[in-house]
Amino acid sequence: MTSMTEMAAPRGRTASAAPRPRKKIDGWRWGGRIFLLFMLAYTALPMIWMLLTSIKSGFAATQFPPQWWPDEPTLASYQKLLDPQNSVGQDFLRFFWNSLFVSVCTTIMAVVVAVPAAYAFSRFSFPGRKFLFFAVLLRNMFPAVIFLVPLFILMRVLGLVNTHGSLILTYLTFGLPLAIWLLKGFYDNIPVQLEQAARIDGATRFQAFLLIVMPLSAPGIIATAIYSFIGAWNEYIYAATFLTRNDQLTLPVGIQRFFSENTTDFPGLMAASFMMSVPVVVLFLVLQKYFVRALTEGAVKH
Amino acid sequence: MRKPRLGRALVHGAAVTALAVSTMMSTSVLAQSVDISQWSPEYVRSIAGTEEFDTAAQCGAVTPLDYQGKLTFWYQGVFEGDPDLLRQYYKDFFVAFRETYPNIELQEQALTYNDLLDKFRTALLGNAGPMMVRLQILGGVEFASKGYLQELSPEDVGWKTEDFWPGAMKSVMWEGKTYGIPTNNETMGFIWNADIFERAGLDPEKPPATWDEVVAYSKQIHDTLGIAGYGLVARKNAGNTPYRFMPQLWAYGGGVFDEADPNPTYEEVRLDSPESKQALQASYDMYVRDKSVPVSALTNQQADNQPLFLAGQVAMMVSHPSDYDVMLDLQAKATGADKEKAQTVIDNMRYGLIPTGPDGRRAVVFGGSNIHILKPEYVDGGVVDEAAAKAMTCFWTSPEWSLKMAYAGSNPGNLNGFKTSWMKERLENIEFLDVTTAMLPYGVPFPALPVTPEIMNIIIPDMLQNALTGAMTVDEAAEDAAQKVRDLTGGGGL
Repeated sequence: MTSMTEMAAPRGRTASAAPRPRKKIDGWRWGGRIFLLFMLAYTALPMIWMLLTSIKSGFAATQFPPQWWPDEPTLASYQKLLDPQNSVGQDFLRFFWNSLFVSVCTTIMAVVVAVPAAYAFSRFSFPGRKFLFFAVLLRNMFPAVIFLVPLFILMRVLGLVNTHGSLILTYLTFGLPLAIWLLKGFYDNIPVQLEQAARIDGATRFQAFLLIVMPLSAPGIIATAIYSFIGAWNEYIYAATFLTRNDQLTLPVGIQRFFSENTTDFPGLMAASFMMSVPVVVLFLVLQKYFVRALTEGAVKH
Repeated sequence: MRKPRLGRALVHGAAVTALAVSTMMSTSVLAQSVDISQWSPEYVRSIAGTEEFDTAAQCGAVTPLDYQGKLTFWYQGVFEGDPDLLRQYYKDFFVAFRETYPNIELQEQALTYNDLLDKFRTALLGNAGPMMVRLQILGGVEFASKGYLQELSPEDVGWKTEDFWPGAMKSVMWEGKTYGIPTNNETMGFIWNADIFERAGLDPEKPPATWDEVVAYSKQIHDTLGIAGYGLVARKNAGNTPYRFMPQLWAYGGGVFDEADPNPTYEEVRLDSPESKQALQASYDMYVRDKSVPVSALTNQQADNQPLFLAGQVAMMVSHPSDYDVMLDLQAKATGADKEKAQTVIDNMRYGLIPTGPDGRRAVVFGGSNIHILKPEYVDGGVVDEAAAKAMTCFWTSPEWSLKMAYAGSNPGNLNGFKTSWMKERLENIEFLDVTTAMLPYGVPFPALPVTPEIMNIIIPDMLQNALTGAMTVDEAAEDAAQKVRDLTGGGGL
């Protein structure tokens, strides 16, 4: 499936293929389309409602029956969030930057560690390989919250409480196992003969890895990066526990500020949520083909 | 705007105040800096603006103003949804503290109401707590009993114990020692929408006098208009639930223990008493039998009820005067036709005393927050700067700032706050404030036990949910909850 000849084949087929007769549209196909439409509405409507609420005033957001389209649309919530002169804006922009910093650092470190680790599990035979491979998954067999207090104590001993390092380290412990598994499946499907050919041509093992295997595994690496980024970007409970200084907080924790004991600023909350979702949506839209490919790549063994 | 029959209700309230005060304030009323035996809205008005206080001078006597130190401090903060007025006072407070104590390096951290206790517990397990913390009223005894808190009394920061409500002082005492100082104390009122009452065929200016009437009014409103009558809340692990159910429980003569009695011992569990079951039955009747409360009540907290009330979908609720300020904020920020609609909601808001039980018993949770200093071994870094912590404690519990920080939704912990000019200004500016000051003497403090947070945040909401979802009958739910309380106080877990 991933060999060069096979990859070239579809192009040739497309060029020579004659137009196929149109398939008869049957009930199943229509049923499928309706189901897809339903699923689209199910996922898109909350986003649309979030967007609409974000451009309402606080009063309009609480009205019933709801104003489907706001009578008096306003961008006040966005202006407040993006105004660095405003205390709300200062906080939001700082939280945004903190989240970006933590997520990018987590992503880079996850890729840097997972790529060689997965390669080693895929290509090398060493004592305890199987045990170690399953051991990295051990952490994922338990709910994340079980590790909250032990990790908190560990971070305190390491002097990392109230630092972004504590989050980066924690997110790596959660993200790495899946990243390694994902990439290992990917490497398993890259024929080892390609590396052997490179070695015969004079490449070192590292050169063969860097120049042959890495480019072929780019979709897997990108998928790993997306997975790590999204995990770190959305994480709440560890960020809420490890960070107590306002200037260190990340967005998921910062967004809690729109909830008070007795009241909620719905337009502010929705505007902040929308802006928080933008980087993830953009990232996913741009790189989704790699993500999907990486998830399905390891499904078939050669 | 028409004035509600608040005056009559308050006169009636004042008439029973002396009895209620003598019940609740059974300890030391004689040396009180404010004479709480005379407590009534009129008395509060008469003392407002009669005395001036110099906070810097008073706190300077506790910790010199040029003191150099460092302080970490967590508190339940105000956030974007809170009234602008209150947020501004919080901002002003920290500016004023930094100006008064320019050499104290302060790291303050505001936390949300529902997060504070859990986050604080986790931090303590890792010996990474802040040097001082301001906790909701039911938290102090739990942490004092576990040995996390230092002894701290009003005298340590220049005030007298008599400057604070005796009921509030109970919430910071454990085994005869004092571990904190009240910053603010609150009692809620009953809010209703006069327009909905009128449309439902009820007298728009007459709130339900008893909880039985609340049930009946709620049904009538729902049957007539198809909207929710009473804003029931039954969410788990949210402080809002006990704050709204306990007044009902006490009014019927029930209780978790004997906490509503003049001299509670907390030894006899009363959650399965006939009176407690009657109170639970009232909630059951509204939710299950009449379906006259929001169907989302099982997951609602007050922050969810408020928009329903403002949208005219809930007619009655138990809440703070801050709801009025929230509404003023929303109206000020609305534009066009929304502004007029918001004004209509404001015009229809009415505040009154919380209803009584069948025998005229009226009760409300004596809520609020307390400030505490931690022991060094539980603090990040292992050191507590006591002088800096006392400076902050003195500042927040001063008459000036305990009043200003409670401006929109509560009342000052330091009773001298009622004598300040800001109290006078507050009485002029905040509609319905009389209701909550009139409710103060009816306040019943939560049981001063380490297990109280678990009882109030878990067992009580569980009992409601068990009954309202039909998982148990009312009797079974009450008996199950009573047994859980017995197990918990007997040393078992939940």
